[in-house]
Parts: sequence; C-alpha cells; structure tokens
Amino acid sequence: MQPNSADPVHQQIEAIYRDESRRVFATLAKLLRDFDLAEEALQESFAAAVVQWKSEGIPANPLAWLVSTGRFKAIDLLRRRGRLDQLSENLIQHRESIDSRNSAKAAEEIEDDRLRLIFTCCHPAIDPKVQVPLTLREVCGLTTEEIANAFLTSPTTMAQRIVRGKAKIRDARIPIDIPSVEDFPERLQAVLAVIYLVFNEGYSASFGNSVTRADLSAEAIRLGRLLVQLLPDAEAIGLLALMLLHESRRVARSDSAGDIVLLEDQDRSRWDHRLIEEGLALVEQSLLTRNFGTYTLQAAISSIHASSQRAADTNWQEIVRLYDALQAIHPSPVVELNRAVAIAMRDGPEAGLVLIDEIVGRGDLQNYYLAHAAKADMLRRMSRLSEAKRAYQSALELAQQEPEIRFLQKRIAEMNHGTS
Amino acid sequence: MRYMLLIYSPEDSWTPEQWKECVETSSGICQELAEKGQLIAASPLHPVATATTVRVRDQKAIVTAGPFAETIEQLGGFYVIDVQHLDEAIQIATRLPPVKKGVVEIRPMMKINGLPPEQFNTEPAQAFWRQYMFLCYDDEEAWAKAGKAAHESAIQEAVKLVSRIDAQGMFISASPLHPSTTATSVRVRDGHRSITDGPFAETHEVLGGYYIIWAESQEQAMSLASEHSGARVGSVEVRQVFDVRTLNLSTTAQ
Repeated sequence: MQPNSADPVHQQIEAIYRDESRRVFATLAKLLRDFDLAEEALQESFAAAVVQWKSEGIPANPLAWLVSTGRFKAIDLLRRRGRLDQLSENLIQHRESIDSRNSAKAAEEIEDDRLRLIFTCCHPAIDPKVQVPLTLREVCGLTTEEIANAFLTSPTTMAQRIVRGKAKIRDARIPIDIPSVEDFPERLQAVLAVIYLVFNEGYSASFGNSVTRADLSAEAIRLGRLLVQLLPDAEAIGLLALMLLHESRRVARSDSAGDIVLLEDQDRSRWDHRLIEEGLALVEQSLLTRNFGTYTLQAAISSIHASSQRAADTNWQEIVRLYDALQAIHPSPVVELNRAVAIAMRDGPEAGLVLIDEIVGRGDLQNYYLAHAAKADMLRRMSRLSEAKRAYQSALELAQQEPEIRFLQKRIAEMNHGTS
Repeated sequence: MRYMLLIYSPEDSWTPEQWKECVETSSGICQELAEKGQLIAASPLHPVATATTVRVRDQKAIVTAGPFAETIEQLGGFYVIDVQHLDEAIQIATRLPPVKKGVVEIRPMMKINGLPPEQFNTEPAQAFWRQYMFLCYDDEEAWAKAGKAAHESAIQEAVKLVSRIDAQGMFISASPLHPSTTATSVRVRDGHRSITDGPFAETHEVLGGYYIIWAESQEQAMSLASEHSGARVGSVEVRQVFDVRTLNLSTTAQ
C-alpha cells in the first residue's frame, strides 16, 4: 500500500492490515486451500479496499468484506493464469451461497479460522522443524527474514522450510480445520508445544538479537491468548499463565551487562506485576477445572515464586508438593532434578545433594549442565568448595550459551577465592 | 482426494495365526471402506523374495533378483483410498493391523490426464494371467535438476506406455505419487500412535509411482517395466500382486 498517512480511511486500512490481516488470511486459506493463492488474494483485497473504501466509506463488517473480495480476487487470479480447475469451478458455483453466508459471517467465525490454521500449521504430519516457522509466518504474519533472524538461520533455509510446509499442506491435503474429537487431545498438545517452543526461543538466555527474541515471546503470548479465547482448555490456560509468569521476570533476570541474575537474587520490584496478576488468576482458573496437566502445574510452581514478596518467603513445601504432582503425571529426570533443588531449599543442601547424586548416578542428565550446576550449588552451600569447583567445571564444559558460561566462570572464580 | 497407503512390516515377524488375523481384520476394513465408497483397491503383494528389479542404463536393461532396496521392513501390500483429506487417511492407516509391527506410509496421489479408465475388479482376458505391480523408484534430485519439462515428457512417455498396455487388455491402474516430501508415516506401538513427516525409509531413490497390470509371466512384466521412462534414471521393482479374487485364508497362511 502507498504511504498516505494523512488520510483517515487509509490510516484505518493500515490499522486493519496490521492487526487483522492474518485473520482474513486464515479464512481465505481455508476457502482456497492454497496458502500462496490466499496470500496474493489478501494483498489484492487490501489494494481494492484502498480504492473502494475511500469513495464508498468503510463497510460495516470490514473483515467479511475483505474475505469476500479476496475470494473473488483469487478466482480472477486463477482465471488470468488459465488455472481454473475443478476446485475453483466449484468455488464459482458456490459463490452465491458462500457469499450470502459470508456477508452474515460474524467476526468470531473468521477468528475461528485462525484457530483452524494453527492446527494445520502444527499438524504432526509436518516436520517439527517446519511447524514453528510455518506458524510464525502464516498465523502470526512474521516475515521470513524476521523468523530467520530470530532463529539465527539464513532466510534461504527458513524460506525452504516454509515452502516445504506449504507444499505438504497443499499436496497431502492436510485439512484446515479443528481436529476430530478423537484426535483433539493429541493435536492440542502439538499446538501447545509449538507455542511454548516459540516462547522459549524468545526467552532462553539470550543469544542472537534480543529485541527480535522478545518479539517471539510476545507472539507466543498472543497465540496463547487467542487459543484461550477460542478454546478455554485447562492446559491452554495453564500454558498462557506459565508464559505470562515467566515473561513478568524478563527484565529482572539479567543485569545491565547481560549476566544472569538468579531468581533468589532478582529485584522483585522490577517484576511486571500486571502480568503476574493475570498469570495468577489464570492458574487459579485452570486448577479449578481439575482437568489440568503439566503446563498448569509448571505455572502453579512459577506462581508461588511470583507471589512471594521476598525469596526467603517462598513456600518450598508447596513447591515440592507440586513437583511431586508433576512427576506423577509426567515423570522425567528434569522434573526430578527440579524437585531435588526444591527439597534442598526446604530441608537443606545435604538432602538435595543425595537426590541429585542418585539421578546422575543412574546415568540420567549426565550431559545436562544444570544438573552439574545444581550439584555444585549444594556443595558450595555446604562449604565443600573444591568439590563445588569441580562440579562447576563439569557444568562449564557442557554449557552452551554465553551468559551461562560467564555465570559459571564467575562461580569458579569465587570457589578459587574461597579455597585459596 | 486419493491416497496410496503402503504397508511395510518385517515379513518374518508374522506367525501364521497373526497373518490370518491380519487378513481377516483387513478384509473387514476393506468391506467397510468399500461401502462408504472410499476403497479403490487393496491387495497384499507376494513376498519380497519373489521381487525382481530392473534398471535401464545405456539402453541396456539390468535385471537383478530381489527388491530395489534391502530394508528390515518390506513392502507387503497397498491400499488406494479416496477420502476427503489426510486426517481421514491417517485414521484408516491407524486401524490396519501391520501398523503395530511396521509402518504405514501415506502418499497423496498425483492426478494426471490421458490415462485410460482403471480396470480394478475385472477379469483378465486370459485366465492364466497374473497381476503384477511395478514400483517405480525415482531419483527425485535428478528429476529436479532435469527440470519440469523433462519430468513432463517422462510422464507423457509413461502415459503412452500405459496406452500400449491397455490396448492389449493388460492395464489395471497406474499413477504417479506426489514427491516423497509429502509422505506421512504412521506407526502404533504399545497403543501409542506416532505420526511423522516423510517416507518410512530414507533412501536415495524413492517411490514415485506405480503400475498394476496383467501379464502372462514375470518375464513379460519385466520387459514392460523396462520400458517405463523412469527405469532409465531410477529403478523399477516388479512384484506379483495377490489376486484378491483368489485370496482366501487357507492359501495365504504362510
């Protein structure tokens, strides 16, 4: 669209484009069953809006207008290319019935199409490496360059993945629809996993461009909100709560030099209390359903930290209890490790050390830097400094990200100081 | 939308009882799909030991005994179904008994013009003719490099071969498949279903299409298979198809 920011109609179209174009895209993609065609039709539809709305005013339901116009533009596009196959013939045949239904189509129904599109992009028949960029591109409308930048890959690689995903949806005819009842739980898990992955990409100890990465977390939260709004499933609520509670600590978790600040050392006045409040309410809401799972339990753990005024006020007993519940429904060595850390906080480092030695002794988590870092921390607190130093060194060998490495080096230096 | 379901499992993992049960369950599913108008064809294949593979290089046919690739799980049968979308195909694949031992690979079929009508469920012109399946393995990279025009002309050549086969009353069915990147593999283990992107095995040459024809002998089938355009770039594996009309439990228990 041409920049003409003074014109109020133009401004409004730009706002609709910015905020709502992916909703229109989702509906077009569902109707046309072709992402590329839907993208072109979307652009043409907005171009037509610029001309028509200026002379005729903005329609009562702009989204329905854009969808309807986009569909006709798609038919024109196909006709111009001489590619009017059976699918589009059917489309023309049904144009009147679709049109009458569509003009009445409420905004919520168009919003539902976005949900359908999320399920499509996170379909298990699509390579997990492709699901994340495809969702960010098609559902969130990020550009390929933005996605590549956030994941530190070349735009070419990212573009190839997205093209592969779109071809799979088109050629294997992955439905753009809410999954059937029997597939639903599994498919929802896949969607939640993709959203959480996007969030963590944006949240993990920052490598790459930190601004873009914060955007990724914001996109994940936006998707989480959309999901909760359209599909108030306990785990969708739990995931949104978990993301909000993590996000609330974003600025407090590193210092001005970009170094890690541990939870217990964070300046809690810097936490975003608006996000915390929202997160706490969501945790409550999900727990009340009695139908919650791992995301809600993790959010519940996070909510205990979030509602403790000082680190010393933390109710470790409750945290241990929640880790027990988590371990019961989804046993994993990482959960066990976190539980051991909570026990150390409740009963003292000796109790935690016994548990960690047990986990690592089994061969689990031997290559997980946090297991060695946690062990080192217990030893440090027990003043067994040379052993602590060795454990920090094991952790250092396994750590990958710059802030983690700097943190461990600092600790090793402290141990040297303490032992010398 | 048509899909081909390719059934892979380790041939030696079936006891006669399991095989019998598998055939019974599969027949039931076939009947149900047929009633819904979703079944185009389904059949087991003769064991992989009976397979022969042909490649044409420098205008010479190179015939080797055995399948195109040695894998632990072998192609044991196929379904051609007509359903709305991939999720329906996955649901059907999940119910097929071999999915618990091996894998069901789902491949969307490519529609092309110019093929004669299919002749599934018809009698052969000669009573002694048998059904053979040509599994056409292509080097997708080589085709991508050769370009769209080369691929299109290879398909036209294949359509002509089909017409010649049809003129002799030997044609049953043929179709190219969408590229292997559109494949989806389904497995069920311990009651848990896994769905993954891609074909069941990562091989350099991948299944790109098939023919099912009548022929009087494996030799005649091989000779026709060597005329397939793709045999010059890839490989064509020829497998005898179990004649579904004679498929009854006593003859298939092995």
